[in-house]
Amino acid sequence: MNLFHEFPDAVIAGLLIASACGLMGLWVILKRSVFVGITLSETALCGVALAYLLHIPAMAGALTLTLASVAVVAFPLEGSRLPRDTLLGLMFLLATSGAILLVARSGFGLIEIKALLYGDLILTSRRDLLVLAFVLVPVSLAQLLFARPILYAFLDRDAAWVMGIKVRFWQTFFFVGLGLVISLASKVAGAGLVFCYLIAPPAAALLCTRRLRSALILGIIFSSVSTLIGMSVSFRYDLPSNPTIIVLTVLLPAVIGGLRMIFQNG
Amino acid sequence: MNLAIRCEDLHVQLGGQEILRGIWLDIPRGCFLPIVGPNGAGKTTLLKAILGLVPITRGRIVTTEAVFRPAYVPQQKTIDPIFPVSLRQIVEMGLYPRLGWWKQPSLMDRRTVDRVLEKLGLIEHQNKTFGELSGGMKQKTLVARAFVMGAEVLLLDEPTSELDEPTETEILRILQELVKQEGRTVVLVHHGLHQAAALADCLCWIEHGLAALVNAKDLLAKKTPPMAFR
Repeated sequence: MNLFHEFPDAVIAGLLIASACGLMGLWVILKRSVFVGITLSETALCGVALAYLLHIPAMAGALTLTLASVAVVAFPLEGSRLPRDTLLGLMFLLATSGAILLVARSGFGLIEIKALLYGDLILTSRRDLLVLAFVLVPVSLAQLLFARPILYAFLDRDAAWVMGIKVRFWQTFFFVGLGLVISLASKVAGAGLVFCYLIAPPAAALLCTRRLRSALILGIIFSSVSTLIGMSVSFRYDLPSNPTIIVLTVLLPAVIGGLRMIFQNG
Repeated sequence: MNLAIRCEDLHVQLGGQEILRGIWLDIPRGCFLPIVGPNGAGKTTLLKAILGLVPITRGRIVTTEAVFRPAYVPQQKTIDPIFPVSLRQIVEMGLYPRLGWWKQPSLMDRRTVDRVLEKLGLIEHQNKTFGELSGGMKQKTLVARAFVMGAEVLLLDEPTSELDEPTETEILRILQELVKQEGRTVVLVHHGLHQAAALADCLCWIEHGLAALVNAKDLLAKKTPPMAFR
């Protein structure tokens, strides 16, 4: 009995989510927008909770609230009295508490609430997988295809604008893509795992290479490999899949960072 | 006079405060023009207004070119050193107006980049990431990017701030050569009045949101800012 034979949809969904998040997470780190990642993940969760309460498809709820948050995140706040981080903090608090309040009103049992709040990759349905494939694959390909203007818009906003790059468009393009990936992935895999994919594999990649292209590729490889290993370990030892994947994935940058320190000092 | 840029009654308001209050300015083609003035006078705002980076409340910018695409050189601290991009990749960003989002640099494009890197003494460091470069090399990288763009007009925002004196002198020499040898127009915001006056015959003095072209020698002789336009 092997993992892929038993849970083929979960494995493919895990790889799809890991690759898309590993790819987009690099930009999240480089743009120093890690807080955006966790805020959007929590918002997606709140959307799922709202959807259950309103008896509408969970992905629709996640998508609606996440894209609404993206509109706030992508809105230019230059000259505002409050820094963007503060706004994100408020959104994060609202989403986290809102999700709990909404599920408390839903009448679900503890197991259902846990599955809703923390997600479980292993429970991925065929329908979830199809929706993920339909959205995540084109979004990821588009992000790769347009990596150049996205890089320039993030690297040097003003110079890019002077060169004719539509900075606001590409920024919105990226954040809408990020919102789509996070909202759909969070519904299937849970906010914690999605946030982990956004941060840990790209962080490990950045510790390994000083080249953007290599970092993008390594981010995808690291997230995919840690997903496969994490799922196999959880399957073999009967452990919950999400926390197992998260622990293994977070160990990646920790181990690579440690090795770097040892070799640099040595 | 052959003009590169003309500012007509330029007004800019930021955060409810009027920063530029009606600037009339003719910038001749092929000149090296430092913009000087006290802190908060509106030097950078004027530069950004010319570049289209801040909205103009009233007035207009007139240029003789059908498509006005100047090269902009920001301060080196603008680029986050966390980005895993090499010096060469940053310089190649200057090819974007020609290549767009998809085309790869041709052999000629790569040679252009090589030539510029050689000229600025950066070729040996081309594979280093931006974070690994010294302050002077970072600034030269951004100047190289502007060179690669091949723009007629270069606008620089305090390109020598936070640099040591020898590096500052070297960067200013490179810019002056660009004007003398290739006839390009270089406009730069500069913090030191006396150094700017030593570099150029003519300066743009800006104060209280108003500007005037002044003779550098006169300005140095009087040791006071010009009053005529106040």
